[in-house]
Amino acid sequence: MVLTRRTRLRCHQVARSLQAYLDGEVVPRRADQIAAHLEECRQCGLDAETYRIIKATIATSSAPDTDAREAVVRLRGFVERLASADND
Amino acid sequence: MTEARRSSPDERAAAFDSYVVPHLEVMYRVALSLTREPPDAEDLVQDAVLRAYRAIDRFDGRYPRAWLLTIVRNTHYNRMRRRTPFLFRDGESAEAALGSLGDHEPSAESVVVDPQLEAVVAEALNALPEKFRAPVDLVDIHGLTYQETADALGIPIGTVMSRLHRARRRIRTQLDTVGFVPGKEMA
Repeated sequence: MVLTRRTRLRCHQVARSLQAYLDGEVVPRRADQIAAHLEECRQCGLDAETYRIIKATIATSSAPDTDAREAVVRLRGFVERLASADND
Repeated sequence: MTEARRSSPDERAAAFDSYVVPHLEVMYRVALSLTREPPDAEDLVQDAVLRAYRAIDRFDGRYPRAWLLTIVRNTHYNRMRRRTPFLFRDGESAEAALGSLGDHEPSAESVVVDPQLEAVVAEALNALPEKFRAPVDLVDIHGLTYQETADALGIPIGTVMSRLHRARRRIRTQLDTVGFVPGKEMA
């Protein structure tokens, strides 16, 4: 995407949308604008990197998915028993 | 999609397969975020599933995930309010009707990526007030969208965004105090 002065974002605009950008919650055009700014602006780029690391650390340090998978298997069994009890 | 009223057990089971079973995992993740304890989360989802089962005839088939997350949230708040311990408050027999449930497994050790960084982030996360921590849990750990998080917590999407922003800023402040800079080893 070619960025003109009109489409270039300023730091405060990026800061306002940064969290949504990192969460994949901005529209593609806005994401392109933010990505372009992060490439050019060292301070905003560092901010974004810090928040990316925070997000990744929270995600990877949470309980392993095996617990959730086992719980979901048990819950599926619960649903099946519920349906079969309804049929009786 | 609006369908005719479903009334037979087979039809209810089919509707449940379509609308509920695919979302059990996200229901569990939301429940875990609300209760913080895996056994409590599983109980909460069971309770929510029962409510969904009773309400499936009235469900129009639109936005099942949002519908179910709302049920999980409301069920959680009802349980908190009543402080009654478990399911089948209407006198149903859980064991007779549904069989026993499996034992709850204890949580396994976390996967450690960067212990020092992880410790600071975990401490900062745990220090957050509940209303700020919950959106972080749902978005970062459980991968919910903002809209799903709003549905699950019963708050507007703008509130989800502002709480996420404030929560992460607090965590970031904690990292700043220990001299964290991306790409450099922590002191």
